[in-house]
Amino acid sequence: MATPTAAVAEAVTQQLPRRFGNKQIFLPNHVIAFIRPKPKQPPNLATFVVPLEFNKLDLRDYLYHAYNVEVTSVRSFINQPAPRQKNGNIGKWYRPRSQKMMIAELVKPFVWPDPPEEKDREPFDYKIFKKMEHERTKSMERHMDPANIPLRTQTPTDEVRAALKKQAKEFLDSGEWSNGRKGDDKWTEVETDVPVSEGKVMNKE
Amino acid sequence: MASAAIRPSLGAFGRISSAAAATTAPRSLVSTTQTASLSTTTSLLKRHKYPGARDNKDYSKHRGESAIRRTGTRWRLSMSDEPLPKPVPREQLPPIETDPDHGLWEFFANRKTVANAPEEDAKYGRSWSVEELRHKSWDDLHRLWWVCVKERNRIATANWERNKSKLGFGEAEALARDREVRATMRAIKHALTERFYTWEDAVKLAENDPEVNLTGDGPAFTPRDYLEEGEATAAEGEQQQQVAEAAEAAEETAVKAQPAPPVTPDPAMIPASQPQAEAPRL
Repeated sequence: MATPTAAVAEAVTQQLPRRFGNKQIFLPNHVIAFIRPKPKQPPNLATFVVPLEFNKLDLRDYLYHAYNVEVTSVRSFINQPAPRQKNGNIGKWYRPRSQKMMIAELVKPFVWPDPPEEKDREPFDYKIFKKMEHERTKSMERHMDPANIPLRTQTPTDEVRAALKKQAKEFLDSGEWSNGRKGDDKWTEVETDVPVSEGKVMNKE
Repeated sequence: MASAAIRPSLGAFGRISSAAAATTAPRSLVSTTQTASLSTTTSLLKRHKYPGARDNKDYSKHRGESAIRRTGTRWRLSMSDEPLPKPVPREQLPPIETDPDHGLWEFFANRKTVANAPEEDAKYGRSWSVEELRHKSWDDLHRLWWVCVKERNRIATANWERNKSKLGFGEAEALARDREVRATMRAIKHALTERFYTWEDAVKLAENDPEVNLTGDGPAFTPRDYLEEGEATAAEGEQQQQVAEAAEAAEETAVKAQPAPPVTPDPAMIPASQPQAEAPRL
């Protein structure tokens, strides 16, 4: 494969000046995002999300002139999203705008830092974020299948309710209870004090 | 070697006979695998030689192969006993060092978390106003534009990373920051557009002005010698000069605002891969 002449030719082409386009753009309005590589992606490949009108040569020029990053080759592909419906599931069908990605082969490798641990994400309010995310997925699942209503026996008992039940059972088992206070003197037993002969009708209980 | 050249059928005979009497060659010398076809007839012998005769090809690819007789394959297999190299697991490979001056670091707001925490992201001032930018040269505006472009790239990278790696909150702060950057970019374009309109008006004025030479040959502005004509015309002349000066100034700024003529970049002048000084951040 790498015959001596081929190696020499490659070395010569490496030394040749880089060719760039002649059209100069002074105020470009493009936004380019540098994206975390896939887990097994080698470090000499860098992925970018680029505008749809970008081509490979554009990315090469852009990276070289704006960021001083040399690139040996560029691969590009377009992610076409699935059709969606407006307003939930009642609106008109449409296809969201596609997204273009490019993978550049770098001359100098670039290794991404590992994402921070969950405990190190405190500045981003990760705890609340995680809770909200969990609730959102739960409610989404409920909406996706409204017929699937879990039975009482299938849902876990609330801790507060379980404690209440335990307390009530203890009361019942003990047979009697008092709040530990002596009542006022004017509160007396109704049946003993009021004679029936006076003809007053008392509301029992 | 005599044993190697021996015909397979004879080799088989030798194997059998060696079991009875160990008079023949030692076992290791006798080839146990068959190297030639079993046919004892000459391969060139052809019965039918008339034109159009059927060919004498052996259509049975596995003729003579037998597992019982341990004949082996008819054709020598191209295999070697050399041990194959084993792939090294990814974890055992030496770690790759990233250049601390790598240009791609400029996409990161924070080298550890990639995205800035929302509290950090919310620390920004205000956008540049048009009034401030009117006094800036084209070079300044161009540099500021590129600062904005890189900041927007940084914000887009952080947004993607925050979303995909589930870092947490911070999107609202990033969007507010992005809005402020875009306000600056809009102000830059506003200032440049104003400059262009001023230049257009100045050109119109200059076309009717005898003091201004638009042909490109000779001096562009030759003031009339108004002082000799007396005090009466002095005021008028002064006014004309003011107009001419304004035209010249507008022309100068417009020339700056106009994009330079497309020049083929001299490959020798393209800088080497040394990192550029990092542009000031917003």
